Amino acid sequence: MILIFTLLEQMSIFLVITYLFTKSPAFRPLTSDQLGFRHKLLLYLLFSSFAILGTYLGQPVQDAIANTRSIGPVLAGLIGGPLLGVATGLTGGLHRYLLGGFTATACGISTTLGGLIGGLVHLYLVRRGRGSQIYLPFLAFATTLCVEAAQMATILLLARPFELSLALVKTIAVPMLLANSAGAALLISIIRDQRSAYDRFGAHFSARALKVADRTLGILSKGFNPENAQKLVKIIREETGVGAVSITDREKILAFAGIGDDHHHPGLPIITEYTLRAIKTNQVAYADGVNTPFACPRSPDCPLGSTLVIPLRIEQEVVGTIILFEPKNMMFSHLNRSLGEGLANLFSDQLLRSRYAEQKNLLVQSELKLIQAQVNPHFLFNALNTIIAVVRVDADRARDLLMHLSNFFRKNLKRSGDVVTLEEELDHVQSYLKIEKARFGERLKVVTEIDPALLKLKLPTFTLQPIIENAIKHGISQLLEGGQVTISAQKFDGRAEILVEDNAGTYCDKLSDTGLGMTLVDKRIKNQFGPECGVEVSCEPEQKTRVLLRIPLANEDFA
Amino acid sequence: MIRTLIVDDERHAREELQALLEEITDFEIIGSCGNALEAVRIINRDKPDLLFLDINMPVLNGFELLSMLEQEQLPQVVFVTAYDEYALKAFEQQALDYLLKPVDAQRLRKTVEKVRQFSHEDLPAQYRTAELKRIPCIGANRIKLVDPQSVEFVRSDLSGVHLVTTDGEFFTELTLKTLEERTPLVHCHKQYLVNPAAIDEIMLLEGGLAEIHTRSGHQLPVSRRYMKQLKETFEL
Repeated sequence: MILIFTLLEQMSIFLVITYLFTKSPAFRPLTSDQLGFRHKLLLYLLFSSFAILGTYLGQPVQDAIANTRSIGPVLAGLIGGPLLGVATGLTGGLHRYLLGGFTATACGISTTLGGLIGGLVHLYLVRRGRGSQIYLPFLAFATTLCVEAAQMATILLLARPFELSLALVKTIAVPMLLANSAGAALLISIIRDQRSAYDRFGAHFSARALKVADRTLGILSKGFNPENAQKLVKIIREETGVGAVSITDREKILAFAGIGDDHHHPGLPIITEYTLRAIKTNQVAYADGVNTPFACPRSPDCPLGSTLVIPLRIEQEVVGTIILFEPKNMMFSHLNRSLGEGLANLFSDQLLRSRYAEQKNLLVQSELKLIQAQVNPHFLFNALNTIIAVVRVDADRARDLLMHLSNFFRKNLKRSGDVVTLEEELDHVQSYLKIEKARFGERLKVVTEIDPALLKLKLPTFTLQPIIENAIKHGISQLLEGGQVTISAQKFDGRAEILVEDNAGTYCDKLSDTGLGMTLVDKRIKNQFGPECGVEVSCEPEQKTRVLLRIPLANEDFA
Repeated sequence: MIRTLIVDDERHAREELQALLEEITDFEIIGSCGNALEAVRIINRDKPDLLFLDINMPVLNGFELLSMLEQEQLPQVVFVTAYDEYALKAFEQQALDYLLKPVDAQRLRKTVEKVRQFSHEDLPAQYRTAELKRIPCIGANRIKLVDPQSVEFVRSDLSGVHLVTTDGEFFTELTLKTLEERTPLVHCHKQYLVNPAAIDEIMLLEGGLAEIHTRSGHQLPVSRRYMKQLKETFEL
């Protein structure tokens, strides 16, 4: 009975070592499921020392040693697999063998065997995809129990004379079985608890970071200005719980929230040394308030005592900063520091993306301007020539045509806005068609079939006109006898389908070569409404050309 | 009187030009038409002195119209266009002048002066006309543009000029002379042009005559008059 207490006493030493180990930075890598060579080496050293210590601290009994040697190899095997288990067992076993006694061989072998058994259990569980069960205390208990039982059997088998070994086993079997098993279970539970503490900590951190990211997503894409910056600082402060948060551009405070907002007003120029330095050097500036003092330059009574300034960048160019503050009585947490830096990266990405989108939009706009400019001279001079001829015979009609020409150009000039209704677009097209009809006379027939319910449909400006212009300029006007353009709009399959069709089929090759501005129309529709919308062109040479526009029906949001 | 033809695919444009020209004496408008094919027919028939020619027209543009005319029959040409992207090309074609639409009456007077001067000197029109890239042929209800390379031979009879290709026979308004001038086709007989690339063999007959067998098995007569020319083509 005394023996079991002695053994448990030894065990407590292991427990203390293990506890300290799990608190040390060396334990950290063991929280991942994959162990590297260095981590295995560390575990080997730790558990080998347990095995050797177990022998030394053991209680001499009848020319043998009652001990806790097996725990080391068993746990090494369980956590690190057969190789680590056998290596640890061999080390502990060899050490025991060299100490001598009539059980030397038996104990040496059984210790190695313990490592092997632990390792096989590990292998079995991992292969079955149940790797997490390795850390169950009950499993460690059961495995150690088996190993100890095996050790007793080995002693009986190998140690001679048999009478002596039998007597020894009778004395030590129960205490060793119980003490070793319970010890292994306790040790593994310490390791397990510390692992899950790390997991929870990590999960908490990730959840917080994700939440801030989620809540701030897209705010900056609407522009880097005081209004959006104010939204951001509020969210960051709520989620991180830091004393105060500020966002600046290169010159002034854009937004501030938290302690000290009575004198850190948005709009004030930047005077804090750390912020100026962060902007100048494009590097994080940090004053923890202990080693590096921080004093608010605006007010001696300011309760803020530490600061972290992180630059916001677009393509390596600093455009502003995010600043986190803690008051004098608070420590700046390591967590908030890395969270702050992560957020700054996230916002920098958003800024980059919004600038990219802006430039893309500008590009499309200027392409559009170019197309509008290209259209005009031919059309204008031919239109004027027609009207001049009409003046001779029918002044009223000429006047009417001039009004249409004026309407067409006024719309062209005005239409820099992004989105118009189908009705407005058709009005623009009608003015254009009136003049083309006057030019081509009977050679041009136009049929229009528009579902009246679609008149309020929103679409990008200058969508229909270039398509209809193509149908006339490259289509009908190239036919000796003339032809017909059909413009129709109807609902189909939850979308509006606008179809422009001519019976010429004369510009298939031009369409595939240059797209004739169709690519631009397609790009603009897709930009606005997504990839499932856009322009579809089909052309049968000398038969017809069909241009189909797909626009979502419920698109009021895009106004 | 300067006999004038107006070619423009827009009716109002023709009317306006006609009205402007009618204000000026010594012009006789012999007609106006809306496309190049009609124009070729009228020019070959009525032989006008002056052509007011639009450039952008359906199927065949103004430059192509010129390349469809026989060199001797070329009238003086004034291009009329809405936009001056063609100006350079118009001068390469050595047109007499070119006008921009809408046509200014003052500017038109200058053109008329030029025309008068030229017609007094009675200089023939000298245009460097391009090789024909496609030969317009009139089918039942459409215009077929035939690549000269695909023509095997051309036959002329009372009904007109016919291109024979592997895709069939096509009627064209162009004369044998124009075709010979503007395409790789050569004369082998008064009434025949042949594409040298389509000749399979030339059978020499008695009396300086010969017979051409084309790759697709047609037989064409070779007259004594064109034999020499044919030999030169093949450097025989």
